Amino acid sequence: MIRSALLIVIAVCLLITCADAFGIQRFPPPDFETGHQLPGTTEPGARSEIFEYVDAAVLIIALSLASWLILKKRNRRWIFMLMLFSLGYFGFYREGCVCPIGAIGNFTLSVFDSDYAMPLGALIFFIAPLVFTLFFGRSFCGAVCPMGAIQDLVLVRPVKVPKGLEQALRLFAYLYLGLAVLFAATGSAFLICRYDPFVAMFRLSGSLNMLVIGACFLVVGVFIGRPYCRFVCPYGVILRQLSRLAKKRVTITPDDCIKCRLCEDSCPFGAIDEPEAPWPEEVYKQRKKTLALLIALLPVLVVLGGWVLGGMSDSTARMHASVRLAEQIYMEEAGLAQETTDPSSAFRGTGEQVADLYAEAVKIRGQFAVGGWFVGGFLGLIAGLKLIRLSVKPTREDYEADRAGCLACGRCFSYCPRDHVRIKELKAASG
Amino acid sequence: MDKVIVENSVEVSARDPWYSAAVAAVVIAGVFSLIVIVLLSVNHYHFKITHENRALKLEEMKLELAKTEYKEQFLADIRQFDLEIREEKLSRVKFSRTGGYLLVVALAIFFGCLKFIQNCNKKLPSPQHQSEAGPRQLLQTRQANIAVTVTVVIFVGIGLLLMVRPAIDLGSGEAVAAYPLAEQIAANWPTFRGPAGSGISTYTNIPTEWDGASGKGIVWKSEIPIGGNNSPIVWDDRVFISGGHEEKREVYCYDADSGALLWIGDVTAPAMPGADEFEEPMEDTGFAAPTMATDGKRVFAIFANGDIGAFDFNGKNLWSKNLGTPDNMYGYASSLTMYQNMVIVQYDQGMGDDGKSRLIALDGFSGRAVWEVKRMVPNSWTSPVVANIDGRDVIVTCGDPWVIAYDAATAAELWRVDCIGGDLAPSPIYAGNFVLAAEPDSRLIAIRTDGTGDVTETHIVWKTRDGIGDITSPVSDGELIFLTAGGRVTCLQLSDAVEVWEEDTDGYFMASPSLAGGRLYVLSDDGAMYILKAGREFEQLGLCELGEDCFATPAFADGRIYIRGVLNLYCIGSTE
Amino acid sequence: MTENGKDNISRRKFLRETAWGASIAAVGAAVGASVTRKAKADMLWQIDPHKCIQCGNCATFCVLEESAVKCVHAYAMCGYCNICTGYLEPEPYALDTGAENQLCPTGAIKRTFIEDPYYEYTIDEPLCIGCAKCVKGCGAFGNGSLFLQVRHDRCVNCNECSIAVACPSGAFVRVDAHQPYLLKGANDEE
Repeated sequence: MIRSALLIVIAVCLLITCADAFGIQRFPPPDFETGHQLPGTTEPGARSEIFEYVDAAVLIIALSLASWLILKKRNRRWIFMLMLFSLGYFGFYREGCVCPIGAIGNFTLSVFDSDYAMPLGALIFFIAPLVFTLFFGRSFCGAVCPMGAIQDLVLVRPVKVPKGLEQALRLFAYLYLGLAVLFAATGSAFLICRYDPFVAMFRLSGSLNMLVIGACFLVVGVFIGRPYCRFVCPYGVILRQLSRLAKKRVTITPDDCIKCRLCEDSCPFGAIDEPEAPWPEEVYKQRKKTLALLIALLPVLVVLGGWVLGGMSDSTARMHASVRLAEQIYMEEAGLAQETTDPSSAFRGTGEQVADLYAEAVKIRGQFAVGGWFVGGFLGLIAGLKLIRLSVKPTREDYEADRAGCLACGRCFSYCPRDHVRIKELKAASG
Repeated sequence: MDKVIVENSVEVSARDPWYSAAVAAVVIAGVFSLIVIVLLSVNHYHFKITHENRALKLEEMKLELAKTEYKEQFLADIRQFDLEIREEKLSRVKFSRTGGYLLVVALAIFFGCLKFIQNCNKKLPSPQHQSEAGPRQLLQTRQANIAVTVTVVIFVGIGLLLMVRPAIDLGSGEAVAAYPLAEQIAANWPTFRGPAGSGISTYTNIPTEWDGASGKGIVWKSEIPIGGNNSPIVWDDRVFISGGHEEKREVYCYDADSGALLWIGDVTAPAMPGADEFEEPMEDTGFAAPTMATDGKRVFAIFANGDIGAFDFNGKNLWSKNLGTPDNMYGYASSLTMYQNMVIVQYDQGMGDDGKSRLIALDGFSGRAVWEVKRMVPNSWTSPVVANIDGRDVIVTCGDPWVIAYDAATAAELWRVDCIGGDLAPSPIYAGNFVLAAEPDSRLIAIRTDGTGDVTETHIVWKTRDGIGDITSPVSDGELIFLTAGGRVTCLQLSDAVEVWEEDTDGYFMASPSLAGGRLYVLSDDGAMYILKAGREFEQLGLCELGEDCFATPAFADGRIYIRGVLNLYCIGSTE
Repeated sequence: MTENGKDNISRRKFLRETAWGASIAAVGAAVGASVTRKAKADMLWQIDPHKCIQCGNCATFCVLEESAVKCVHAYAMCGYCNICTGYLEPEPYALDTGAENQLCPTGAIKRTFIEDPYYEYTIDEPLCIGCAKCVKGCGAFGNGSLFLQVRHDRCVNCNECSIAVACPSGAFVRVDAHQPYLLKGANDEE
């Protein structure tokens, strides 16, 4: 579906030369006696390229500001203001279509299709939040992402999601990421963009389905904090892992945890970990056995994932237009389809050989089978590692923001009495 | 928003002067948003349903216009209705846009005030007594393990379901071809002069006795609405002919068994007075001289003004287009032929050096040009033939002075021979290992087919000096060639053009001769079919009178002959 | 126990540092991989008019309420016919500009008399909905001078164009942002 500039230019030139021969001038253009001048076809230009860099600059400034506000300033109010700005700028003004989440698709395609190059602006949007996360944690999620912002705004009555359910639902985000990469790598679809729930709202127009899905996310989001971010967002799961490694991290307390338990319920996203002690001896032994079993299970899960997703390549490959077309043509030729479709009629109009189309479709199915093995294996690995993680008892002494899950919204700061001491000291110092 | 809460007690917040205003705002904004959402949905669905219906109704009204009596009033109604539809659409769009903005504002107020209220009501955190951490955490871990496992099982289950779903096997190459197989073509009469334009029927049970006056041997006789000089074509139980004059160009589909006119297809393009000065074809040619072609699923017809149309076997028009008015002095007459899914049009016109002539392959399904090659030849009236020569499908064409062969798959020119001149009407055939081309009223040329490029000097096997007519094409069984000129029938030896016999008949042949079951069928313009023995000795096996003038070459099918008279289409066969 | 704990912590720290370095390297590699691809990358969606089959999806599938696709006219190809099959219904009741004779559902084609017998047809873009009815009419029996183009002043250049997804003939292509139109006639001389 997507070709490089070069290929397109060549293809178009070829087409134009062919089409030129096909050009049927039934009625020769007239020679006007009155000297009438032919008007030209207008070519209104697109938005200037410079704005792409303006967007990138705004993104980087917003990320820097967010990181500073979260780590140094520790002020929820300012974070909230920045969030509103991001919602306005990246959401409603830029209509949600410069977006690191969707850029996963562009990036994957640019890796797998050597003819496709990613616009530089999109590349900056894809990379900058990753780098910032490696240094400062998920400040992008907290104050810059317009999709996070719109959900954050509607969160009124947070309900706690049980830890187990949360873990399980998050698997969906990994699945989504895996499929998005699979479909983008095969040049089939940009899944994330196609099912972006909020872009239709940012534009105030779009297909009804998307508006309804977006509305559902918002209604759920009134009770469950940021459902898209936590259970769907494929970029979020990448940031999760990078955030584990972050140089600086969000801390609930500015200095020492006094274990007052006041922050316990402050996080609507379930990202505060309470102090944990090692298992008692008899439980520890039992868990150890389970752990050994789970580690042994890991390769099994990887192979199972690969086998399933690789094996269903005939189904997943339908995401590719050429495969759908080939199957439709096959149905028509075999007399199984009564009606022809627009794509099949259009294909027959090109005079291309059906056998070539079948061969291409078979090739694409092969790509899906190989890609399916990799993605399925990755998903199996994720599920296995998750089970292993759950069996390893972390030990911590303080209340801490979960390194991976903390969305850097800054809600917990004001719950910590130490933070009020800090503010008072600051006030006193400044006079 | 989440203000510093330690300093605010619940009681203080509740007394915030803005509190009750915020409550009111939440209620109002909430109700308002709901109303807007409902109105927008109603607007959306109502518009979706009504707009389509009204657009359809408008189309119907436009069609009805021609039949209505009170035109003035009806015209005004249509215009009014059209205006209403457009105005409604614009107002609906405006409505949804305004609604969208209002909804965003209302929701912003709703959630803003809700957050404010929530902030006012915020309770101080008061951690409750918790059960012992160890067992609680152990339970949580177990629950998480179970939940993750269940999810994995669900994913794998869905995956397995999709895995076992039967897929279409595209790789095995067993797909049915989009175009008819050679056996199917051989069993039918899909183009002018049948399979490969050879004039040879594969059936041996072709009737030899009939009589128009008594109706003996006539299975059916069916009136032709608009006449034309094209020949019938036959596929399974359908017979197709076309007819046309200045006002109308039509395709007729007859039931092969009953002769019932099943449907009429209209290929008439809108008349273009002024912009298009079309010189009418000669009366002898008419608007519908080119014979139709079929690929077994679709039929195609072209007319003298360049209109070409495609229909499926049920009469549904698949596409119609105009190839550009041909510049042709007697009127365009080349028949269509088929190669796989493509309709081949030999569009020779103009003077030769003006580059107007083209050979065009149109996709039968869509009418789009698949390929097109320029031919530096003037207007001609011959029909191209597609023959399988040495395992390759070749399109053989005639155009003063060239016989040109093209590779049907790629449109690449294979070879050409400079050998024929004049106003060319007889079509070439492929017989034995030779392509036979005719110069009208002059000579017949045999060409070997293994050359490339201009093979005038090397590949002409022989030339005859006479025996060929001005419009009829030759027919050959691979050993002998049969030619007609006026009323004379000539038999030549294919290998060396030595004359075997020559006889004069009382007829006059406009239709080309055909071979079936070892017999030569030659149809005279007065409707008399001369049935001769296709052998080394002249022998007249029969003479069957139809009693109606005939100019078109008949079509042959299983035990049948379809003859187009000037007024009627006849099916000859066993009447038992 | 404490020593063990310290060991654990330093080991964990080491692992984390290593992973961090690896991640930075991976991000760097990603940038490199992406940047070293074919240099120029800014692309916009456009319709290849020679592939377009006038299915009408452009009018309905655009994410914008008013499609970014509009009909444009290559005047140099137009025959300026009095009876224009892109302008009039296939069998018009009368050869005038009455609503009942117009093919365009929104009346977006304006017809201007130039000189006998020639008329000029211009598209009123704000009215055009990109339904391609006129394109079909013009292509079937006329010169094919009317065709559809994505108008870049309207198009929001979605990452995955919804019309491209719905396009049955693969006529939507990404073109270089510096030459974002595929005009009929203009390129045909080359």
